[in-house]
Amino acid sequence: MKRKLGYMALPLLMAAAFTTQAHADGETIAVFTKNQTNPFFQTVRVGADNMAKSLNAKTLQYIPTKPDSIPEQLSQIEDVVVKKPSAIVFTPVDYKAMVPGVEKINEAKIPVINITDRSAGGKFLSFVGADDYSLGLETARFLLKTLGGKGNIVIIEGVKGSLTNVDRVRGFNDALKEAPGAKLLASQPGNYQRLQALQVMENLMQSNSQIDGVLAANDAMAVGAIEALDGANRKAQVIGINGTKEAIDAIKSGKLLASGDYNGFAQGCLGTMMAIRSLRSQPVISEIVLKPTVITKDNYQPFDVPLEQRTCPTFEDAGKLSAK
Amino acid sequence: MTDITKEAMMPPRSFLSQDAIQVFYRLLAAFLICAVLAVLSDSFLSLGNILNVLRQASLTFFIASGLTLVVLTAGLDLSVGANVALSACIAGTVIHKTGSPALGILTGLACGGVVGLLNGVMVTALRIPSFIATYGMLWVLNGLTYWYMAGETLHGFPAGFRQIGSGYLFGLPIPVYLLLVFLGIGTFFAQRTIWGQEIYAIGANPVAARLSGIPVARRLLLVYAVSGTMAGLASIIFLSRLNSAEADIGESLTLPAIAAVLIGGTSLFGGVGTVFGTFIGALILTLVLNGMNLLSVSANWQPLVTGVIVILAVWLDMKTRRRTQ
Repeated sequence: MKRKLGYMALPLLMAAAFTTQAHADGETIAVFTKNQTNPFFQTVRVGADNMAKSLNAKTLQYIPTKPDSIPEQLSQIEDVVVKKPSAIVFTPVDYKAMVPGVEKINEAKIPVINITDRSAGGKFLSFVGADDYSLGLETARFLLKTLGGKGNIVIIEGVKGSLTNVDRVRGFNDALKEAPGAKLLASQPGNYQRLQALQVMENLMQSNSQIDGVLAANDAMAVGAIEALDGANRKAQVIGINGTKEAIDAIKSGKLLASGDYNGFAQGCLGTMMAIRSLRSQPVISEIVLKPTVITKDNYQPFDVPLEQRTCPTFEDAGKLSAK
Repeated sequence: MTDITKEAMMPPRSFLSQDAIQVFYRLLAAFLICAVLAVLSDSFLSLGNILNVLRQASLTFFIASGLTLVVLTAGLDLSVGANVALSACIAGTVIHKTGSPALGILTGLACGGVVGLLNGVMVTALRIPSFIATYGMLWVLNGLTYWYMAGETLHGFPAGFRQIGSGYLFGLPIPVYLLLVFLGIGTFFAQRTIWGQEIYAIGANPVAARLSGIPVARRLLLVYAVSGTMAGLASIIFLSRLNSAEADIGESLTLPAIAAVLIGGTSLFGGVGTVFGTFIGALILTLVLNGMNLLSVSANWQPLVTGVIVILAVWLDMKTRRRTQ
């Protein structure tokens, strides 16, 4: 059986080798994302697949089965180093803890592009991501502008100590400092979970008779807070972050004020594009920090399109999309 | 062996047993927490907040009530949270596809029950320790749910269906009625039926239970199936209350449910504990979080305080138990 498989595989391998030499395509790009549960990474993966397909390359997706598992991503790196893909597009599950993993990839001399969360160490050809701080700042500014710069505000935080949460909440707080008329009532953890955010909101409504604005560190928590408000027949302006399909629907129906989006689809596209360009000895942009988009009822249309039908930005667009 | 002789061997547990004393200590703890919170926060004792706490505790209780029976047999069901996630996602899809909440509810309960039954089969027929069997099941369920949902969320359910989790009847949230019903059924089943007594006997001494003619395997199968079905029920409440389902809801549900069972005084070694105790356990956990939110306790301290409460509760439990024995 084994021998038979070997005979079958041999012509395939030769064909593959031949194509690579002849057309300089058919590269395999290993794409590492943090989990299968956050819709954001689904947009990253579809973006990466989309770009690879259009450039005649293929992707191999590596996702920890246990969300954001450090040991699991480390062993996936060990596996991939043995498998030797042409290049790697990498989101660390933890920006500090995965540095030894990145160093393993560097030692194996596999070109690697960093996307989404900036790794604390290791050598990368390029970084493609967005800035959680400006995401928090811009969404909170939009909320405060809508409220006329005043009102009682609560923050629902994500997982305490996670990089995304620290930066987003710092952005929220800095925007609040710009609006002296606004008062922060509480900043409580919802751990990025819908149910926990709903319960936190229910509890906060008991001790605060007037809440005008809710700043949630992701869309799931924003939607949880809206459910709690609806349940108590109260109204407040709520913002979330991630630009999920659910958030777009809520913006359309007027339940959610806005959601901050850091262009996961574009991150997947551009990360993969940079990987393939470097393999084909074409110029690469070493740093693309995408501007956050505050999705509101005025500009949601381009986000209301199924992922598979979206188109990747071109190399020329990449320069324009960058905030820096 | 007839039921009469079995009953003679195992007299119904009197209410002034060790379990009753344990429940008393827990009620005392819950009252103490309430008293402290009432002093510290004006809004704590408002009717709205009390209903809040009861509704929030109900979800944990539904999961933990079935789990209590499993723990009474000296087993553990680590897959309950993952079971809730899968059942919610499947029930949600059925409601979306067919437009029938009734069909969705039945599917959710059935999905939960089947998963529980499979756990039971692994524990009884294959004799895999429950900790391992249900831990394996946790991974299987996570895998299925992640694959099935592919990073998407389900949301938007009919208004009638939403009533189950978010609606009110005569001023009380509907989950609170369900809580009272299942608290009643659970307590009656465990304390007043032969099957319930047999479950205690299996937990206390499985060998003696088998020798005295209790069909141990069949009772264990029942216990795991009940635990799974209660997870299915919790999934329906979750869907209806949050109006959505996503693959990663399970992880945040399992440990609080286990904690509620343990804080409630059910021993991990089996044979000791009550469903009512579990209700108090769920209540204490909810009260602590509710109180911290009302008092605007910093996000950093919330997990720490919760952890200390769990440790304290189990330590006090062992201490008082030693004294009463």
